[in-house]
Amino acid sequence: MERETGAREGLKGWLNPSKIGKFGIERLAWLLMRLTGLGLLAYFIGHIYETSHILDGKAVWDKSLEMTQTTEGHLFLALVIGMCVFHTGNGIRLMIAQMGYGVGKAERPDYPYKPQSINMKGKACIYATLGMAALAMWYGMAVMFA
Amino acid sequence: MMVLRESIIMKIHYGTALGALFLTVIHIMMRLTQDFHESLEYENVIANYESVGYAILLELLLILISVHGFNGLRVILLEMNQGPTYEKLVTIGCLAGMAALIGYGSRTIIMTNMGML
Repeated sequence: MERETGAREGLKGWLNPSKIGKFGIERLAWLLMRLTGLGLLAYFIGHIYETSHILDGKAVWDKSLEMTQTTEGHLFLALVIGMCVFHTGNGIRLMIAQMGYGVGKAERPDYPYKPQSINMKGKACIYATLGMAALAMWYGMAVMFA
Repeated sequence: MMVLRESIIMKIHYGTALGALFLTVIHIMMRLTQDFHESLEYENVIANYESVGYAILLELLLILISVHGFNGLRVILLEMNQGPTYEKLVTIGCLAGMAALIGYGSRTIIMTNMGML
């Protein structure tokens, strides 16, 4: 049997902007969930490595800390805060949806086949999560640049 | 190799997410108990690690985020491609990465907590 390859676009499929336009904010949330997840994992590995410098003494600790005490470092940390808040908010939305809340009742699929699960409640949650991420980034910058 | 059902793995994924969220909030609040920059000074960070309660919190946080993060990576990689060998390699690779990160992070926590500087 010939192997199906149509749905295997990989990263190209992820980042194709026409798909976001075609499938709406849910598609953007799907993409951001993956990108923020990967970004947070990379940050976490870096954070574990950076904090291990505490074992090398005060001089090495202070030097490694200097990297995050610059304007670029603060902006990077603000981005991490934004990624963290979006990933958390969207993750909670997905957990609630998987429990069956807010996804609508099952109906007979009639043309134009609008899925019940893609509704205004879900869209509002995604916009609210994006807003919360922006607010958290702003608060983080206010603390770091104080 | 012991194989867990995906439904069980996803429950672990959600459980670790909620646990990590709770502990991360405490971890961040600790930075805000004093001035942010001051809280990151060497002496203050050492004092944090030397507190047994906080060291346990850090260890739990390390385990929860590592499990959640590497399982998330596994899910993303399995979404992109499938096949028995590939899936086995991805699973073993993610488990190895998770174990290595937990081991490396635990070393920092245990050595600092015990004053082995």
